[in-house]
Amino acid sequence: MAPSSPPSGTNLFLYLLLLFVLAAAVAASAAAPEEEFTEELLLRPLPDRKALAHFYFRSSAPPAASVGRHHHLFPKAISQLVKKYHISELELSFTQGRWNYEQWGGFDPMSTSNAKPPGVELWAVFDLPLSEIDAAWKNLTHTLSGLFCASINFLESSTAFSAPRWGFKLNEGNLRYGALPREAVCTENLTPWLKLLPCRDKAGIASLLYRPSIYKGYYHSQKLKLRSSQSLGIILDQTLTVVLQPNTINGKQLHSNHGQPQPSWSIRHLFNRRLSGKCLVSKSSKIFMEVDKGIVDKVNKSGGDPSWNNEFFVLWNGPDRLITDLNNLDVQSSSIYEYDVSNYSKERPFDLGITWKLPLIWSSTPSPLHASRFLMGSGNERGSIALSFMSTNLHKEIFGSPNDCSIKAVIFQIVPWYVKVYYHSLEIFIDGNRKTVSDVVDKIHVTPSEDKLLPGTLEMLLRFPCSMQSATLTLDFDKGFLHIDEYPPDANQGFDIPSALVSFPELNCARNYPETDPLLGSPLLENFREDTAVKSYTEVLLVPLTTPDFSMPYNVITFTCTVLALYFGSLLNALRRRIGEEERELTKTATKRGLIPLLLAKLRGQKVDPTESGSSSESTGSKKLLFKVVFVAVAAVLFHYFSNNS
Amino acid sequence: MAEIAGDDAPAAPPHVASTSGSQPASNPASTGSSKPPSRTTKPGVKRLVLTASVLLSFLLGLPFLLKSTEIHRSPLPSDAITALAHRLHSNPPSFPCGLHAVFLRSGSGPPDASLATRLERAISDQLQLIPAASTAGNVSVSVTVESAGGCSSSSGVGSRWQCGVVTTADLVLGDEVFDELLHSALGSGSGDGSRVYTVVIVEIDDAEGMRVVIGKHRHAWLAGKIDEAKSVSVIGKVFVKYFMNGGIEGEAGVGKGEFMPVGSDGNVVLSFSLLNADPSDWVYDWEFEKIGERMLNPVVEALRPIAEINIESQVLYHTPKSSYSYSDDKLGGNVLSMGDIPFFVNSNEWHLDTSISATGRSKVLQFVVYIPSAKECPLYLQLPGGRLSKTNAFISPMWGGVLIWNPPDCSLGSKKTHGTRKKMASQELMETLEIFIGQLRQLFGLKPSYLSHDMDLPTKFVVSERGFTEWELDLLYRHHARSNLLSCLTTLESLSSLVHSLPRMIVMDEIGRQVELSLEAASLAQRNATLGISDSSAVSATRARALAEDAFFHPSVMSISYASIEHYFAIYMPFFAPVSLHVLMAAIKELKRYKAERAKYSAFLASGATAS
Repeated sequence: MAPSSPPSGTNLFLYLLLLFVLAAAVAASAAAPEEEFTEELLLRPLPDRKALAHFYFRSSAPPAASVGRHHHLFPKAISQLVKKYHISELELSFTQGRWNYEQWGGFDPMSTSNAKPPGVELWAVFDLPLSEIDAAWKNLTHTLSGLFCASINFLESSTAFSAPRWGFKLNEGNLRYGALPREAVCTENLTPWLKLLPCRDKAGIASLLYRPSIYKGYYHSQKLKLRSSQSLGIILDQTLTVVLQPNTINGKQLHSNHGQPQPSWSIRHLFNRRLSGKCLVSKSSKIFMEVDKGIVDKVNKSGGDPSWNNEFFVLWNGPDRLITDLNNLDVQSSSIYEYDVSNYSKERPFDLGITWKLPLIWSSTPSPLHASRFLMGSGNERGSIALSFMSTNLHKEIFGSPNDCSIKAVIFQIVPWYVKVYYHSLEIFIDGNRKTVSDVVDKIHVTPSEDKLLPGTLEMLLRFPCSMQSATLTLDFDKGFLHIDEYPPDANQGFDIPSALVSFPELNCARNYPETDPLLGSPLLENFREDTAVKSYTEVLLVPLTTPDFSMPYNVITFTCTVLALYFGSLLNALRRRIGEEERELTKTATKRGLIPLLLAKLRGQKVDPTESGSSSESTGSKKLLFKVVFVAVAAVLFHYFSNNS
Repeated sequence: MAEIAGDDAPAAPPHVASTSGSQPASNPASTGSSKPPSRTTKPGVKRLVLTASVLLSFLLGLPFLLKSTEIHRSPLPSDAITALAHRLHSNPPSFPCGLHAVFLRSGSGPPDASLATRLERAISDQLQLIPAASTAGNVSVSVTVESAGGCSSSSGVGSRWQCGVVTTADLVLGDEVFDELLHSALGSGSGDGSRVYTVVIVEIDDAEGMRVVIGKHRHAWLAGKIDEAKSVSVIGKVFVKYFMNGGIEGEAGVGKGEFMPVGSDGNVVLSFSLLNADPSDWVYDWEFEKIGERMLNPVVEALRPIAEINIESQVLYHTPKSSYSYSDDKLGGNVLSMGDIPFFVNSNEWHLDTSISATGRSKVLQFVVYIPSAKECPLYLQLPGGRLSKTNAFISPMWGGVLIWNPPDCSLGSKKTHGTRKKMASQELMETLEIFIGQLRQLFGLKPSYLSHDMDLPTKFVVSERGFTEWELDLLYRHHARSNLLSCLTTLESLSSLVHSLPRMIVMDEIGRQVELSLEAASLAQRNATLGISDSSAVSATRARALAEDAFFHPSVMSISYASIEHYFAIYMPFFAPVSLHVLMAAIKELKRYKAERAKYSAFLASGATAS
């Protein structure tokens, strides 16, 4: 809007007037902001010959009275959800596979906010009075399970979710957290997720999501994050993070000393799709290629410039922009090459790839402590959970010499009620030496589990010395018994304990892009700039519990009933028996009839009177038999009649 | 127990032993003698009493067992349901209403008092001839004759017609103004009691022919040169055909045989969607929240007694239609024939989404504006006759309506306007919404619009800004109340027969309570119907139906499969079958033995008596 000629005289007045009108127009348009949609994709080669693709879609709805009723781009279902349950923040992730913190990085925004525990994780912050939150959570789980075709409704039961106060995220008791480690994730979850995008997978970056390619990967995490407030409106961030093994491009394989070299790949090789333009209603549509710090350092060391075509690699297209990330000491750590997709179309499809000129070996920045969790003990009675931390010696790089410094770590862990953890049995070993709990634990908050009511929640702030090489925490537990109805269909597989979250509150992994204008509008990069503590999830544990024989109730019923009936019958017989008379009868009949008594008598050497075997006893015996048969038949007929009638 | 047996055993045997021992030929068959074995003592009843008491205690315990294993079944008022069914079938809800004819005579002079009574009788006779609508009850006819001299009325005038407020001269002001004038003359509030419909006959001497105007309130007027016989027949026709039947001829009256598109809980969501078939050609947006709300709010208000209506809107992209159209050069565009319409809605790609706010059993009506892509633009609907549809829209009963909107760009040689988002002009949006209101009327069973030559006279209809005129709403309320009462009854009857047919089904107290409340609401609706208050009758009928459906679809009804009779037998048989066999056999044996022994004893006594 800059004037082409310098203003003079009367022109100046007109110019000012025009400016004023323009300003008014801008103000008016600012007063009524519109719903927006942006789509982005970040690609990054990983050290272990894999490639990371991170899709980022943001839809935002400005605060308006018509939220939840009239929408243009923003998904109506989501805004109705926010409005109905008064959600101020929500995150739902579906993940398959486990993020490899050593290889793929543990100290960057990607691992911190996009590495999620396997299965489903849901947390939400409600803008409601504390007494109404549990009811809203229960309804929310049902709604989400309908929206995303997943069994999120299992989080409804109070044994499945908890309300952490500070271990997960600082809140005022209005946060609820639940996880389903065993939930399988597949296309039926992706399709409703895509339906929330205005172009779905018909156009734009989302059209790359060719199902066979993305479900073939090593890690797959689809996430939905909602933020809502009076001033902000609703912001919906949908991300999909996949780690794929690129198919190597046919042709020369570069020689390398260290096994196989890095494969060269492109978007088409990763997804089996080519990108033909942007989603037309999106405000911006960008693809980023990120090159790790490890590569950048090597390039810098060799004296080359970190452009898109250097001695180590070449990108297929020249970027529209190069963004470099500066760390605290103003040292460049990673570079991002930005491409704008809106210039491409169906006739001129976009493809981006990386070709390695020289074999390169680098590593990602790991998190300061590598956390893992495992079970100890054997048998179906008791065991213990162990959390082990191995130092990656990162602090030496960050803090310099390990003098008197310490690493803070927060552990957040939910344990289902049937794993009865004895929190007093907490033992801490540092470098193999047992420490008193108060030496290491700064703050601890335990919500003990209640049978069939509440899961146990452990929030713990630990302080480790920097010089530490390894630390282990152990907690003993007893395995509980479940009611027969409470076992899942495949009870013999064992029960999952959800992942524990380890976060390092003092370590911030936010990126710092000095020349990025915040108004330039890349939600993905803005998200990278946000202050977030380094986080990592541990493995899911599988606890085998004693499983009953599931036909047990009927067995118990029949056995006890038989025993009772036997006892009752014999008691009654004993009561009405005439022992003396029977004995007499017995001796009498023994002398009278029967082949066996006859033989017995013969054996005993008694005399037998052959005339005494009578036919009358036979006839009475057959009568009795007949009576019995008739009785059973009548009983059967009656039962049949009765059961048919009902 | 052994002790008892031990105690007991020696008591009797000595004697028996002595007796039986002394008589080795105790077996009568072997010896051939008929002399019964005898005993000298009275047989003991100890064991008999014991076994009998055990058996008795079992028999006494049986009712307790049955009671304790009984399944909770709330008693359903099945008598009241049959009574309601009987009432509804023998005496379907009918709404009494009134017809008031007003003759505005141009001539001067006091009107003849007998004229009013004579006309009244004539109109009554006329109404007898025309078959009335099913929902109409008694019609009370009254007549007022007004001329410059004053007015005279027949007995029992229903409406509050104010003499002298309206004159024949007011007709020149135009129909809309005259309509409002009549409305004020009739007194706007005829709220209490039955509805009275007024037909005003305005006599104009110098006019040729006659015209009929039907207002948007509960009145119509005839203007022109009128003879009495003709006017009486026209009054009858107007009343029966429009006020009672909504202008729909024949048996298929309003809402007859089909349901109202209202959810069983009385909620309706009107979901408006703008579908951009291919956004790479053009992208259109609309300002629905401003214009849509303004135009639809009066409709929502008008229909409130029938349904609670919510309005939502969204814009969707990449939504091609799923039927094929062919290009027709003569018509200058692509043409979609009527046969392809059933395949038009593409449920794979149109993610119209049922709204979250439409919970439970509420109904969503989809209204879709389809913007064709450049290669199929302009797209027209062809009627079976070969003509093009005037509105370019169609409805699907119980689902909603679709309108094909050809954007202005497509007539301009279909030049692609790449990627720019344009707004639908407000004028266009308003026209679209008018078509949708017409479709909504159709979905509710009314005519989308009336033909002006429906009767043999030129007829005009004053259109209400609410989309529905007052007399149409009365009609809807009546039919809605009736159909809801019938559907409530059907639901209750099925529930009652279901409960009867499954004796092991758990019936929660809540279900019983809901059924009772539903019956209460139904009888309230009936009472209101007999009083002629159609709107509150419609409200109660909706409530009755909602409660009945709630009871029928109560989640606890699903628990039936867990308490089957097989289950019951499987649990109790293993104990009771063997035990009861023991108890029964013991009692029978003991009784038999006691009888035999007593016979022996009596024989002994007898022999003792003869011996002595």
